[in-house]
Amino acid sequence: MYKRLNELNFVIGLFFTIVSVVLLLDNFLTKGSSGKLNLYTGLAFLIFGISMIMLKAGKSDD
Amino acid sequence: MKLTLADYLVILLYFVFVLGVGFIIKRKIRSSNDFLSSNRSIPLWITSLAFISANLGAQEVLGMVASGAKYGIMTVHFYWVGAIFAMVFCGLFMMPFYYGSRARSVPEYLKMRFDEKTRSLNAISFAVMTVFSSGISLYALAKLLEVILKWDFDISIWIAAGIVMIYTFLGGLTSAVYNEVLQFFLIVLGLSPLVIVALHDVGGWENIKAQLQPEYTHAWKYMGHPDTNPMGLHFMSLIFGLGFAMSFGYWCTDFLVVQRAMIAKNMSAAQRTPIIAALPKMLMPIIVVLPGVIAIALMTPALQSKGYSIPVNEAGGTDFTMTLPSLIAHYYPSGLLGVGITALIASFMSGMAGNVTAFNSVFTYDIYQSYLVKNRSDRHYLRVGKMITVTGILFSIGTAYIARSFNNINDFLQLVFSFVNGPLFATFLLGMFWKRTTGHGAFCGLLAGTLAAALTHGLTVAEGKGGWITPLYEIRSGLGQAFIVAGISWIANFTLTIIVSLATKPKPEEELRGLVYSLTEKKPISQARWYLNPVTLSIILLLITVLLNIIFF
Repeated sequence: MYKRLNELNFVIGLFFTIVSVVLLLDNFLTKGSSGKLNLYTGLAFLIFGISMIMLKAGKSDD
Repeated sequence: MKLTLADYLVILLYFVFVLGVGFIIKRKIRSSNDFLSSNRSIPLWITSLAFISANLGAQEVLGMVASGAKYGIMTVHFYWVGAIFAMVFCGLFMMPFYYGSRARSVPEYLKMRFDEKTRSLNAISFAVMTVFSSGISLYALAKLLEVILKWDFDISIWIAAGIVMIYTFLGGLTSAVYNEVLQFFLIVLGLSPLVIVALHDVGGWENIKAQLQPEYTHAWKYMGHPDTNPMGLHFMSLIFGLGFAMSFGYWCTDFLVVQRAMIAKNMSAAQRTPIIAALPKMLMPIIVVLPGVIAIALMTPALQSKGYSIPVNEAGGTDFTMTLPSLIAHYYPSGLLGVGITALIASFMSGMAGNVTAFNSVFTYDIYQSYLVKNRSDRHYLRVGKMITVTGILFSIGTAYIARSFNNINDFLQLVFSFVNGPLFATFLLGMFWKRTTGHGAFCGLLAGTLAAALTHGLTVAEGKGGWITPLYEIRSGLGQAFIVAGISWIANFTLTIIVSLATKPKPEEELRGLVYSLTEKKPISQARWYLNPVTLSIILLLITVLLNIIFF
């Protein structure tokens, strides 16, 4: 895990995953008073964040 | 606009991550090359996103939304005319010389191709411009936070500058580039929900077209005469002024963006960096132009029930700069509001860090190492690079306070920058493609171009600006004036460079190998996979760009 902090895709994925948790928690704790925007955005950020975390660093010279 | 705990948490998380990136990169910094030019080790996807992100500062994000609200869909010309073609040209034709010459900066290329005086003119003007641009970015951030969140101006300045200073001091260019990519995703993903929800609220693109005057929803149709479109431009001045002189001058010669391609791992990646960056750039109007168009549609009588309006300024006029913050406040609930505010903060910090890292590279390599203290150890230049980073940030803070005291200084500085930048592309075009161009020609041409830009501005007046010598000619719009100034300065530079070059002695051909097109060996481009071939990629991009222009004609 610590080694993967050197990979930018992992750092970006981690950031959006944590932000998605904040958005989803806010949505549930405020009982959806903010509409569904936080919920949908939180889920989209979560999918994006996990996808970035799962990405392996490319092996090409580029 | 009132923030809640969730909003503050998102902002805090962003600060923690950008600082964390600095601390992670710090362990990899061992030499001045690592710190100032990333030792040419950055993967292609990062250089490509950093290339576009270095330009995705506050002026881009807030400014283009404001232009979308003021001029409508014509604002896409800044992308589909004023960026894509120049980015493709930079990748195909200019990167081989920047990268192949092994120059560490654009001014250093000028020294190799021409001479010391041309380099020093470019290096000094660039260093001054970047540090002032960084300060203006900082001022604008603090001012925005003061207006929309009632945050203290001084605290905003010192916190934002302090964070940028820490991560650029620790990790140098690599740290700035990595954070630019994080900032890119934050801006794009943070503002995407706004576009979706606002577009849905306004009734879709078809309803926007139904509500607005047709000249606000057509990019080209009303450009036959300056009086028939909101920008007040004729299509020829747009194509030559923006599409050629200004856009090629910026995307092909500004070290701030070109530096992102120069740190790629190899020539192929360096060439593809601006070309791949052109794809997200092409789609950027969805994020930064469409919200502005939606905002004016929301203010039409049929949609006034939505309860949105663009704020007014102190003079009682529409404050277009506040279009994006006001849309965020109107649509975003707590939590997402924090994401939107963080996206705005990210755009300012991205712009500032880009300027600071470009400044420390040029100052250390092209001013300090070349003129002040030569032949010292690498450790010495690494230390100087770090000190220059701190100095650059302190200058930026000073500029921000000057900008606060003198309202017109921002406009004045932007004007001076345009005088210096306008003619630059002519110097590079002739230098790279005409071996007869001499150092004296390039130097005189640059000075003449800048002088011609200042004279044109002093003799023309548009929207009450310019005409400081005598208002000889009136131009309908300020944008039109800017394009004409850029065009004339380009022609002046191009013409005088040729005349002086023909009258002076050129460099021997053996000194120009790898620096001029006709004297550089052409390596065959890999045909194995289409996405590795910059020519194929460029053709695809240009076709899509033409198609987009036709769709929104």
